[in-house]
Amino acid sequence: MSHPANEGHPVLDPVLAAPFPQAAFTVLRNTQLRKNVAHATDVIQGKRNRLVAEKTDWQELRSAASALRTHVLENLGHYLEQFEERCTAAGGVVHWAKDAAEARAIFLDILRQEQASDVIKIKTMTSAEIQLNPAIEAAGIKAFETDLAEIILQLGDDEPSHIVVPALHVNRTQVREIFARKMNLPELSDDPKELTNAARTFLREKFLRVPTAISGANFLIAETGSVVIVESEGNGRMCLTLPKTMITLAGIEKVIPRFQDLEVMLQVLARSATGERMNPYSSLWTGVTPGDGPQRFHVVLLDNGRSDILARRGERQTLKCIRCGACQNTCPVYRQTGGHAYGSPYAGPIGAILTPQLMHLEHAQTLPYASSLCGACYEVCPVKINIPEVLIDLRAQVTDKEREEERRFFDPMYLGMRIANFIFASAGRFRLAQWMGRLGLRLFTRKDGWIHSLPSLGARWTMTRDLRGLPDETFRRWWAARDRKD
Amino acid sequence: MDPISRQAILDRIRKATAGGAPDVAGSYAGLERSYVRSGKLGADDRIALMIERLREYDAEVVETAPDSLAEAIQEQLAASGRRRFVAPEGLPAEWLAEGFEWKIDHGLSTAEVEQAEGVVTNSFCGIADSGTIVLHHSAAEGRRIISLLPDWHLCVLRASQVVETLPEYFARCSEAPVLATYISGPSATADIEMTRIKGVHGPRFLHVVVERDEPR
Repeated sequence: MSHPANEGHPVLDPVLAAPFPQAAFTVLRNTQLRKNVAHATDVIQGKRNRLVAEKTDWQELRSAASALRTHVLENLGHYLEQFEERCTAAGGVVHWAKDAAEARAIFLDILRQEQASDVIKIKTMTSAEIQLNPAIEAAGIKAFETDLAEIILQLGDDEPSHIVVPALHVNRTQVREIFARKMNLPELSDDPKELTNAARTFLREKFLRVPTAISGANFLIAETGSVVIVESEGNGRMCLTLPKTMITLAGIEKVIPRFQDLEVMLQVLARSATGERMNPYSSLWTGVTPGDGPQRFHVVLLDNGRSDILARRGERQTLKCIRCGACQNTCPVYRQTGGHAYGSPYAGPIGAILTPQLMHLEHAQTLPYASSLCGACYEVCPVKINIPEVLIDLRAQVTDKEREEERRFFDPMYLGMRIANFIFASAGRFRLAQWMGRLGLRLFTRKDGWIHSLPSLGARWTMTRDLRGLPDETFRRWWAARDRKD
Repeated sequence: MDPISRQAILDRIRKATAGGAPDVAGSYAGLERSYVRSGKLGADDRIALMIERLREYDAEVVETAPDSLAEAIQEQLAASGRRRFVAPEGLPAEWLAEGFEWKIDHGLSTAEVEQAEGVVTNSFCGIADSGTIVLHHSAAEGRRIISLLPDWHLCVLRASQVVETLPEYFARCSEAPVLATYISGPSATADIEMTRIKGVHGPRFLHVVVERDEPR
């Protein structure tokens, strides 16, 4: 049986991934994947739009969420130190990791101290960012994902393609095939209920047996040192209640000032992420509570390029993100390509701005171009990240960097731009070029007034669309003639 | 912990945010918060909304007068067809209906909780707007494990504890809880083709007994 969603293992390491246009070209031929992605994003968007419409104070909530996140970033050092102090006082151990390698090393240290042979995991995109699972497996420890979508991916040797619904590119037939093979259940049907039950049984034993868990964090609360996890299935609650040890990985930007700030954040997150008034389960815990839940608790605060983003005034807003995925569901590019083409666990518009910055613009330079700049992502963003603005900023930086490195000196586009620059700088040259261009295009204009095919670089346009022939009179000539008449 | 990384990260953050608000508390206090805080509904409508939302999530809801609460719990337990229940340490004794096998959680092992067929707990608060049940895990709400492992959860919610909006819940918290669980319907997933399936890992059956303890 073929695995249309799994043609070759998707590469989500921006250092190794193919440039976006190349990767996108491959996925665009995968009609099954495109159908799956279109269906899932349509459903979530429909639900999200209905619930946002019923909320009369939606714009006020967005403004409050945006202001709050901006305030946090402006005072990030203050809030992180406060979180560290309160979490430590409550019995937690706080670690700081400057990059992915250091974060992985901290995890392995703790897991060795715990003498862990297995770990259970709550879905965390940050763990995919630092490529934690391969590191854990290399140390001989088995990592079990417990979110249904993540199990589908782990067992199917696949990678997440969406921040909130990571397996949205896989359909029920594919899930059935993976579960039947990996859980040894040949009789399994493709009924989602039966598939879900299979996962429940498969994981129940792990929840009850494995004493070490790893989670991400939706929010860290500075005032109390608490961690908040938002989920649907209850796998999160299992992992943060039953094990003896919990290790939480959180980007340094995840902190919010006070417990009460959740009144804003939870309202905007649930509606934006899954189109629910509230997700089925949210959990909050504070350090260690004697007799209830894990008795050893670690938090790993991850920088990995975030403090760099913080230093860029225009792009700092990227860090306001609360990972709701609404920009992915609405993006006309993501909706065609799905997530894998972005070559990063962070796909879609937010991925297009976050990934290259986390890579210090050394990799993933094509991602800022993976957008039509239509602005739909900005409109739905619950914390008002102006993604198109950041995309344009990053495009400029990518271009500047390439020019400095003279990498594009002989690139046809760069040459073309230089020539255009020369022509546009003088009215005489512009008039001359216009005259020559009109003369040239006339050769290709058919009787119906349309240009159906152009040679060379122009063919890239006419391959898929026609171009209207130029009218006989230019605007400039018409304008001049009009002046004379007056 | 590597103290060098900690300092290096904090230094980078401080450098990146230099010139930020010198008065963090003042800047926080001045943040824009023009969203809706208090609800508009009267008591009856508020409870009706809470119940409607709970039912949308497939929770079973019954209403009862204060003097027949114990009876209502008894009826729900009997109708469940289950026998072995676990209860938090601080659950009022009159809620422990006769004719069932009760295990009181004075620190039960995971295996013991796992064997229970259901659990009865109190709750801290209900939020009508989203149909959310809030547990702060006090003595009558129980440790987190007991409202997690059993497949059937009966939760008592007093009408006077139901607020309309999420901000109203936060206004009721005189201090932040150390532990909290927010339940908006039974465990669910939509990971396979966005088809909503009830009951993945948490309790698959959520029953709520609403005690009408405020005058109608």
